[in-house]
Amino acid sequence: MKEEIKIPEIINKETSRRGFLKGAAMTAGGAIALATIGGVKPKEVKAAEAPKVLQRYLFAERQNCTGCRGCEYACNIEHGGVVRPSTARIHVYKHKGVVDIPVICWHCDDRPCIAICPTNPKSLTVDPKGNGIILNEKTCIGEKCMKCQEACPAQYVRANPDTGQPLMCDMCGGDPECVKACVRQSGQPQGPCLVANTLGFGVNQAYRNVKPVKAGEDMLELLFYPGKGGRPATGKSGKGR
Amino acid sequence: MTAPKGGYFGKILEVDLSKGEIKTRPLSDELARKCIGGAGMGDHFLTTEYKAHHDPYAEDSFIFIGVGPLNGTYCPGTRASFVNQSVYTGLISHAEVGGHFGNEIKWAGWDGIYIKGKAKKPVWLSIKDDKAEIKDASKMWGKDTETTDEMILKEMKDPYARTAVIGPAGENGVPFAAVIVERFRAAARTSTGALMGNKKLKGIGVRGTKAVPTVEPAKFLQAAKEAEQLAVDREAWQGIKRWGTGGLLEQKQWVTSSLITKNFQTTWYPDIEHIGGEQAARTFWKRHVACNNCPVHCLKLGVIREGKHKGLIAEGPEYETGGLLGSNLMMKDFAGMMAMIELCDGLGIDSISTGGVLAFTTECVDKGVLTAADLDGIKVKWGYADGYLELIRKMAYKEGKAGKLLAKGVRKMSQEIGKGSEAWAVQVRGKEIAAHDPRGDKNRAYSYAMGQCGGDHHEGDSPEIQARWAMVNSLCMCSFVGGYPWAKETPPVFVNMLNPLCGWDMTSEEYWATARRIITMERSFNVREGISRKDDRLHKRFITEPLPEGPKKGTLFTAEDEKKMQEAYYKYYGWDDNGIPTEATLKSLELEYLIEDVQKAKKNL
Repeated sequence: MKEEIKIPEIINKETSRRGFLKGAAMTAGGAIALATIGGVKPKEVKAAEAPKVLQRYLFAERQNCTGCRGCEYACNIEHGGVVRPSTARIHVYKHKGVVDIPVICWHCDDRPCIAICPTNPKSLTVDPKGNGIILNEKTCIGEKCMKCQEACPAQYVRANPDTGQPLMCDMCGGDPECVKACVRQSGQPQGPCLVANTLGFGVNQAYRNVKPVKAGEDMLELLFYPGKGGRPATGKSGKGR
Repeated sequence: MTAPKGGYFGKILEVDLSKGEIKTRPLSDELARKCIGGAGMGDHFLTTEYKAHHDPYAEDSFIFIGVGPLNGTYCPGTRASFVNQSVYTGLISHAEVGGHFGNEIKWAGWDGIYIKGKAKKPVWLSIKDDKAEIKDASKMWGKDTETTDEMILKEMKDPYARTAVIGPAGENGVPFAAVIVERFRAAARTSTGALMGNKKLKGIGVRGTKAVPTVEPAKFLQAAKEAEQLAVDREAWQGIKRWGTGGLLEQKQWVTSSLITKNFQTTWYPDIEHIGGEQAARTFWKRHVACNNCPVHCLKLGVIREGKHKGLIAEGPEYETGGLLGSNLMMKDFAGMMAMIELCDGLGIDSISTGGVLAFTTECVDKGVLTAADLDGIKVKWGYADGYLELIRKMAYKEGKAGKLLAKGVRKMSQEIGKGSEAWAVQVRGKEIAAHDPRGDKNRAYSYAMGQCGGDHHEGDSPEIQARWAMVNSLCMCSFVGGYPWAKETPPVFVNMLNPLCGWDMTSEEYWATARRIITMERSFNVREGISRKDDRLHKRFITEPLPEGPKKGTLFTAEDEKKMQEAYYKYYGWDDNGIPTEATLKSLELEYLIEDVQKAKKNL
């Protein structure tokens, strides 16, 4: 009985302090981004481009990811027809063997990758149809530069192992194959992880700042709220599990 | 000898740990088509390179980590196969393991890894595409699988690499040690862990960036997508998606009445509700994890939320782990059971054999055959997790009297203890059996008694299903995704995928002949080691002790059932009454090289 009274307190302490604060910070950040950018951005876009462009964004509901990498496969099939995840424009990072983090292009509204692209004309452009990023393979100087990789706050950009040029998400013209694959693979009990929608709202600009490793740590906290030191370990003595 | 056109890279990575050499062994299209890959390919190497009565610990003993032609392609649910001669039973054995490890091997440009020899000091194997290196592992030696996994990933400096490692149990030569892949997945039941430990090979890290060559990509893709849709549409998998195999714990208790309980004494265990899939879904599971491109995501990860194991992240319970370390030990304490499962994963030990050993030990204590003094004073009783945890730890480190005794496995323990303990030392060909009681689920006896690995739940429940499974294991496919919905179609869905992938013109007949060849190859290896009809049987507990309670009360696996099973099986595969492949069968399956050995073994019967 003693134990039963003691333990909920411990749980409350740890979860409320860590999980709640973190959650609060994230929603607050999201809300701020939503309020500022979400209010300003559509006007700009409308002014700059043709009217009624369907702005689509890729979004990853991280806790739904099962790490099946179906998105990578679908991406490969769409871009080249052969499965080769090292050239996929989306990748799934396994954090500490416990959580899987989909690393995606969030299609930020300020597009730091395009802003920094040094070539003239720019090798990276926005697809007006689907909001994807299009790479011009002729002008891109590839591994000599890779400024876009440095600029990407989400650490999303990888180099193509063959050409050395960045692998960019073109949103498959507005109807991403990775999302379809994710929907196909998901189901019981949770829904798909990837979403392609008009939900930009600038939230993506908050999400994108979370690097894959940090996202992994957060997801570990969020789902498993491990005790001090992360996970229990067998340790040298093998005790303590 | 022609090089494969597609589906294979045509080369196997050959590692000699004694000399520290790394070579490439070419793979011909003919051999690939004859034995496919994975388990079949490993069987080919085992039967051609080993002579009869091979010492599993010899210098030239090898571990073959095989992948199939479908690995690394769009085909969902591909795996990897660990094939070797078991140091536990001396027989042929292969373990299939999911995750992305197998695919990374393929993407690195290899059709398999062949490891022989013994290193002088601990090493690990790093594979990055064509570049393979033997690296120093002295810092990893002694560490649990979780830490080793992290250390290898750190040293490889590649977050996308995948690992297969052994834990302390493998290092200490516990004969039922497992290889742990990607932290939670076990390639067990084959003693590969013990063999790796003997070779001082702590782990393998793989990362590949290539694409599998395909002869007709568009046609293959269409076939693979159709196959995928079959798996997605299969209603039976909705339950596996939701509860993994953990939900079967309740099913086997209430519906099939084949849930093993109290060291196989009964199959009636209503307390399963405290440790089954429902309990896990309600209080434990947090995430579902899938292998590559798989819609089934059967692996469940969870965290213990209160009590002394609070914060423990573990995988399961699956049906086998929950049966062997749960109901078979009369566990009611869910957290305690999960701690046992995680301890097995962490120490790199087979949870099925461990559960069998613990249950046998407890019954020995119950019957007064073993005393506390024999077990270093550890309190052992049904359902007491702390005692079991301490025993598992001692077993893995072979520590003290208890550790040394338990690490021998059930058969040797009962030989040592004597006093009639064979009566409850449940094993088949020296290996503890899995969590399906053959009295409640009679077809499962095929898998245990007739399957060539012995005591294995995953060999197939009829002669025909065993042929199916032989192909599934050689293609390195998951039985959930591919095995059930694909293999029974005619022609098998696999044929539609293999032909455009490899540029073959395989027919349904050739497909099933290949399956029979693989099983006969395995059988011939076992026959050379002295296996015959006398060994194709269940433990006598199932034949003499009727089920005492439950819906199938009074059921036995009778001697008649046994006879029927054996005869049906030998007939299907074209073996003689003693379970020895006949000359005509061997010839028709292009296994002429085995005729002499098999005939010699037959004479010695």
